[in-house]
Amino acid sequence: MFRKRKCIGVGKQMETSTGKAQNTSITLEVLRERVDNMEDAEVIEYQTQNNKIFVLIFIGTLIDKARLNEAVIEPLRLCNYENIAACISVSKITNISTLEEAEKKLMLGAILLFDTIENQWCSVDLKDPTGRGIETSETETILYGAKDSFSENLEQNISLIRRRLPLTALKSEKFTVGSLTKTKIVLMYIEGLTNPDFISIAREKIKSVDFDQILDSSQLAAFMEDHNHSVFPQFQHTDRPDVCAYALGVGKPTILVDNTPFALNAPINFFHLFQSPEDYINRWIVASFLRIRRYVSFMLSLLMIPLYVALTTHHYQMIPLQILFVLVETRSQLPLTPFWESLIMLVTLEVIKEASLRMPTKSGQTLGVIGGIVVGQAAVEAGFASQVLIVLVGISAIASFLVPNYLMTKATTLIQFVLLILASFLGVMGIFMGIILLFAHLNALTSLKQPYFTPISPFYGKDWLDLFIRGPLQWMKARPEALHPLQKWRYSRRR
Amino acid sequence: MKHKHTKILFVIFVNMIVLSGCSPIKEKNLIEEIAPVTFWSIRKGEDENLRMSTLIPPLVKEKKRLLTVQVDLLKEGMKGFNLKYYRELKVGQLRMLLISEEIAKEGISPLIDTILTDPDISKRLYLAVVRGNFDEYMNNQLKMQEDLDYYLYRMFKHYDNQGKLTIINLHQFMKTLHSPAHSPLLPVFEASEENFQYLGTGIFNNDKLIETTNYMEEQIFQLIDNDHFLKYFAIRDLSIVLGHVKANVHLNMDNTYSELKLNVQLNGRLDEIAREHKLLTRDELSRFESEIELYLEKQTIKFLKKLQKNKVDPLQLRKYTLRPFSKPLNGREWSNRWERMEVKVDYDLKIQPLTDTKN
Repeated sequence: MFRKRKCIGVGKQMETSTGKAQNTSITLEVLRERVDNMEDAEVIEYQTQNNKIFVLIFIGTLIDKARLNEAVIEPLRLCNYENIAACISVSKITNISTLEEAEKKLMLGAILLFDTIENQWCSVDLKDPTGRGIETSETETILYGAKDSFSENLEQNISLIRRRLPLTALKSEKFTVGSLTKTKIVLMYIEGLTNPDFISIAREKIKSVDFDQILDSSQLAAFMEDHNHSVFPQFQHTDRPDVCAYALGVGKPTILVDNTPFALNAPINFFHLFQSPEDYINRWIVASFLRIRRYVSFMLSLLMIPLYVALTTHHYQMIPLQILFVLVETRSQLPLTPFWESLIMLVTLEVIKEASLRMPTKSGQTLGVIGGIVVGQAAVEAGFASQVLIVLVGISAIASFLVPNYLMTKATTLIQFVLLILASFLGVMGIFMGIILLFAHLNALTSLKQPYFTPISPFYGKDWLDLFIRGPLQWMKARPEALHPLQKWRYSRRR
Repeated sequence: MKHKHTKILFVIFVNMIVLSGCSPIKEKNLIEEIAPVTFWSIRKGEDENLRMSTLIPPLVKEKKRLLTVQVDLLKEGMKGFNLKYYRELKVGQLRMLLISEEIAKEGISPLIDTILTDPDISKRLYLAVVRGNFDEYMNNQLKMQEDLDYYLYRMFKHYDNQGKLTIINLHQFMKTLHSPAHSPLLPVFEASEENFQYLGTGIFNNDKLIETTNYMEEQIFQLIDNDHFLKYFAIRDLSIVLGHVKANVHLNMDNTYSELKLNVQLNGRLDEIAREHKLLTRDELSRFESEIELYLEKQTIKFLKKLQKNKVDPLQLRKYTLRPFSKPLNGREWSNRWERMEVKVDYDLKIQPLTDTKN
């Protein structure tokens, strides 16, 4: 009989297998043992001009080999000094004393240098800088404005933000999470501006993450979120440095995760999910119109299909007469009730949407055509769906894409299904109940312990200038009150 | 705490779904299973009962047809329709109620009360009186015009918003019916095999139709009470048509309510003259205006006298007896005074000067 074994955490298991790493002093033998069976690991012994022997240990695939030769090996061979570390022309050299430290540095792209005479270990940072360059954001595309976006390189991402905010007050605290991945996390904030409560909450939350793999910022967000079971994102995921700079500037901390092009901004509110960087580029009237259009689209994508089901199932009285005649005529030959008809069409649409995302771009286009024709025209002709519903599903699908936040778009779909079920049972009353529950839920949510439905509840009147509309920048004299920044005013000179 | 919330939400959700299936009478409103009707036409049947007709809404490849039942009670008719047709007829979209002139003359309160108590029927139901056989007209027209009921509804809706015809809905009718000394109004149409045309405004005494305005009276009524505007004001006796006539009406009653002064300022243009006139000078135009004014004064007095004689007040003149610190006259008192009131009418017509008039 198989029996469940008592589960041991991955980190703990590794600790037990490797011994108490943090207390063990570094020896060449132990390190040789550690890199044993690693094909890309190299342990090389060299002799300097004054006959000193030094040992280099590194992982070949993680380091910049050209720089290793020109900045470390060649200078060391020609070295005449007593202290061989002084010969190396690399800025980042640190002395190390524990095995744990040595292992960590080695695996993050540093070389370990052992001075056999002095019996001193040091690490030289020679991380291979190759990776994706700075490219245009594909998830948050805008027509005007900066085109650069974050990449998987953490240092590069930090520099993109620092270029926008050249301040010594812009602090970046480094953390490491994930017992297997050892992912570097950087918490950025502007000292003296960002509310210290936010910083300490974020710091505590990052420190409390105890998991083996943190491969993406979304995974980190999942551990840091106050409400895991909500469909609403409580962090703003963005790959745009300008968005991060703006968030930092108004008093929010930003979290960057190594090997992830998406940064996390918090605390956010529900209405942040409808804001786009383009709002601050367009003229304020145009930007306000675009923003209102986004809210309307969100409501349309949420309510259109449930309303169709509610009206055609329960409240025929509410349908305008001419539309009613068209509906009666188109629906009279369908075998399915409005609920099943809508459910099937929505599920099919979701399948097509998901498939087009996963498929290569060229195949995706074919899928779009097939989806459009088969699901649209053929379904109507075959008598599975009414033309009116196809039109509504189309409008609702397009409207859902107007919300700039992709995670929000997905959440909308899920809420739409719940409202659909309520509408089929209780009609318009069900939809209203659903919306009331939705608002109650939104009101109960928090992001980094701050209310999610602010500035409506709790009410912050001045923040409404940048809520449903994007007011003129000249009028937005104060930073958002809801964020309780330490510096309230956005202008530096007294007016 | 989180689990507690989840449990509460779960209970609410389950309740909502379960409760919806617990209604003692399950009313199914799936639009493909019902037939929402838009109008009822009611006329006197044989003996003392009612003859109700309605048009069933269309389905694909199904011809529209008029359903007629002979019943004693209105709701019995509703049941009768359902027995005759395979889809359940629903009255939630009932927009027009056409009542025959014979029934209207006998009193429409029982019908209106039945309609009013039905929660499914909207208060924005248009009411109209029909002279002649509407069913015959419908049957005849259906061959040529399938969506006739819908176009009829659009006509009511159009004139409801912009005036020119008297259009009354159930709510407005009930409001005037239950206001003391106010006479309800309804439009009167004439239906024949080929035609369905607006005749004028039907004036009610309580719930009984007692008078229908004639051509001239209707125009005067539209000007002085309904919209104060007429696009075309045709005066047949003078062979002229005035266009875009706007009326500014001033009513004045003396303190003893023995005299009513009606001052009407008309502004319009001369659209058509079917007789020879020399209107090229100011004096001639002024003489012409006086001629029209005199004619209108005479016609208006005649119309008002007729109302007085019939003891009806469709113009709702009683409201002018409301004075500061005193209530308006009660229904009976107003009725007595209105009957004996002396009416003075003064028209002041201003025809927009033609460009080629000489000074």
